[in-house]
Amino acid sequence: MRTSERHRRASSAVVVYVIVLMSLQVFLVTVAAEAVLDDDEALAWATAGLSVALFLAAAAFLRYLRP
Amino acid sequence: MSDEPEAQPAVWKRDFPYEAAAEEEVTRREFARYLVLGAGAMAVGNVGLAAWTQLRSINEGEPRAIVELDRVAVGDTHLFRYPTQSDPAVLLRWSETDVVAFSQKCTHLGCVVYFQAEENRWHCPCHEGNFDAESGRVLSGPPTRPLGKIDVEVRDGTIWALGRVES
Repeated sequence: MRTSERHRRASSAVVVYVIVLMSLQVFLVTVAAEAVLDDDEALAWATAGLSVALFLAAAAFLRYLRP
Repeated sequence: MSDEPEAQPAVWKRDFPYEAAAEEEVTRREFARYLVLGAGAMAVGNVGLAAWTQLRSINEGEPRAIVELDRVAVGDTHLFRYPTQSDPAVLLRWSETDVVAFSQKCTHLGCVVYFQAEENRWHCPCHEGNFDAESGRVLSGPPTRPLGKIDVEVRDGTIWALGRVES
């Protein structure tokens, strides 16, 4: 496989990965809202930590996305 | 006036000067960047929700007399407000000596629940949620959390609410 073709596929995979991370963020917001209603501090902080980690991962993957 | 020559369009564009709607579309990188920004906003929102959960104070209620025990028949309910006038609550006398009380708000979307004696359960008519009469746990329907329980006891023939029970 040519290098440019491989890079193009990897770049597309990054977009798919970012979309999946975004979907997980939406799910985590619903979990956080449920934690607030249930007054579950541990779950709320765990959700927030995971959400921040996913955001950082998504931001890091942007570097590998070709223009 | 600048001495710099004007930027010339590409030869093919000069020869075939058409405009395509696609020229205004966002690039893949921009699209991904918007997604990441959205993910960042949600992460900030999640941290905010966690901080709110940590910092807010929940009114657990002060001990207060609700109603005389004699005025509530066995198997009957009594509506009251607790801990504030904005919080509808209901108590159930399910034996001669035992009384339970719950917030009347369904834990799904906040509709008012009522007691179904024939089924021995609290029923939410909005989305068919059902809760156990004595414990308030979810029996069926969309709610995932039990009804908010209120600690009650009988003192000298009067039912007292002592405070909300933490879930």
